[in-house]
Amino acid sequence: MSLKTEAVTLLLGDGDQQVKALDQVDVQVAAGELVVVLGPSGAGKSSLLAVCGGLRTPTSGKVWIGDIEITQLKPSELTRLRLEKIGFVFQQSNLVPSLTALDQLLLLVHMQGRRPKAADREHALALLDEVGMADKQNRRGNQLSGGERQRVGIARAFMTEPTLLLVDEPTSMLDTQRGGQTVELLRRACHDHKVATMMVTHDRDVLSQADRVVEIRDGHLSAFNEPATVSAGAVADAAH
Amino acid sequence: MFIALRDLTYARGRFALMALVIALIAFLMTFLTGLAAGLIKNNISGLMELDITHIAFEMDDKPTYRNTMIEREQWEEWATQPGVKRMEPMGHTVFTARTQKDDPLELVLWGLRPGSLIEPEVLEGSPLGGTQEGVIVSRLLAERDGVEIGDRITLDRVLTEMEVVGIAEERNIGHIPIIYAPLRKWQEATYGPPGGPAPGEELPDVVFDFVSILALELEEDISPEQLAAIDDELVTTTLDRSAFYAASTGYIEEVRTVQIIQVFLFLISAVVIGAFFSIWTIQRTKEIGLVKALGAANGYLLRDALGQALILMAIGVFLGLSLGLWSGQAFMESGRPFMFETDKIIQAMVLLVTAGLLGGALSIRKITAVDPIIALGQEQ
Repeated sequence: MSLKTEAVTLLLGDGDQQVKALDQVDVQVAAGELVVVLGPSGAGKSSLLAVCGGLRTPTSGKVWIGDIEITQLKPSELTRLRLEKIGFVFQQSNLVPSLTALDQLLLLVHMQGRRPKAADREHALALLDEVGMADKQNRRGNQLSGGERQRVGIARAFMTEPTLLLVDEPTSMLDTQRGGQTVELLRRACHDHKVATMMVTHDRDVLSQADRVVEIRDGHLSAFNEPATVSAGAVADAAH
Repeated sequence: MFIALRDLTYARGRFALMALVIALIAFLMTFLTGLAAGLIKNNISGLMELDITHIAFEMDDKPTYRNTMIEREQWEEWATQPGVKRMEPMGHTVFTARTQKDDPLELVLWGLRPGSLIEPEVLEGSPLGGTQEGVIVSRLLAERDGVEIGDRITLDRVLTEMEVVGIAEERNIGHIPIIYAPLRKWQEATYGPPGGPAPGEELPDVVFDFVSILALELEEDISPEQLAAIDDELVTTTLDRSAFYAASTGYIEEVRTVQIIQVFLFLISAVVIGAFFSIWTIQRTKEIGLVKALGAANGYLLRDALGQALILMAIGVFLGLSLGLWSGQAFMESGRPFMFETDKIIQAMVLLVTAGLLGGALSIRKITAVDPIIALGQEQ
């Protein structure tokens, strides 16, 4: 299994303000599988992504990426793990402003301590081509539309050939048509690159693209459903 | 410096303004360093050129060149002291005078024994000793006041007449040009009657028994205790090079003023660069969180940002230094006190860059506090 969590609980805040963001969460995602975590705002979707991506340490429970138990890792090891094993797709504005589309991808090579070589450029261009952005490789974020920025973000997430792809609300800033195209692109890339993908969203329109849908409410993962049988309550809540 | 270099072109307006501020500070620093060196040279160049280790004054807590008198017995005794390699009695008096064209002059008359090792080399003309009245003048008097070889200069009040026989490099003390005279001529002008001796008469010997200071070359291993013992015995106060420079009027005040301005410039540099990078880092918080979430280590981001600060400093300092050297050259050519001392300018620029980087580093370290969780829209 590429991603596995076991009884993960995350408490946020202190004293009376303490909130149980995640409650005994067990989830597994296999290589090449797209799992959608559906839930309303504040349900714990982003907390789940943060724990799975090594951005937050759970209060209790364990998280594995491949055969690495990331809850045992030191902060510096987690940073390295994020660089080498995890791809992130954030909401649309998360590109580095000063970098061109191509540089957004080459940055990851540089962060690994290597000067990007011709092979890295070819790889990055191939990924941009895969998301239909090769012809806009020299444009910066402010010269791209929301959907284009999201495509660059997706290409960047695959640059280091990660084990796990974590996707945060990819359609929240896009219209229905562009949102649908983006998730379709993600699904195709997930399958083509055989990457375990966990996507959190409240957008019911994207559920048909998922291999599996997980419903989250008040930090509790309540059910595993096929897209066609997602509970009406979850979808209705998510829509709000 | 993957991001740093691209930030520099992306936000070139902001960085250009900052580089301009650094350039102005570097310009001020270069100019001030040259001016300080020029002022120092203008003040004490006469002393700097003396190939000696110490100067003995009349005993005083704060000896000055204007207020010192040493008797023949003292200097003859000094010459025989252990540890003394060389001793030359010297006269120092400030005079106003008139040139042959009746232009007023302010000058310092130094009396030297002709042929002594402290006599300056002449650029043109002849050395001291050819005639009793022959003097060597600082080049400044030739260039600024039009004094030429063969001209006569008359000291005010004492009406002593001197003939210019040589011109030496520009030498001043207390910003006043020096005229080198034979010691006996200086003694005649300083202690003799106005207008010199009456016709047919000679000055009494006592006139020639006094000088102002003793230029000394002492053995390197002479101890402060030995020196103090000689001073006690011979009723003198002996100063080493830095102290006899400081005895020149206004020297300490000038050096301190320039040093205070330099210290403030270093502080301003550190604060300005620090403030800029502080604001820049705050503006980049979201971007830093994103890059950290993607797997960038703190060290990577700190190196990137410090590299950016270093490039900015280097560009600013290069521009400021170039402007400073260019304008300093123009300033120097116009005859104003300015001097390039490469080691001091390099030192000032290194200090400036260090101060800027220190200020930048203090701001940039905030990068380590940015939590990558903000990339997911969550609070730190």
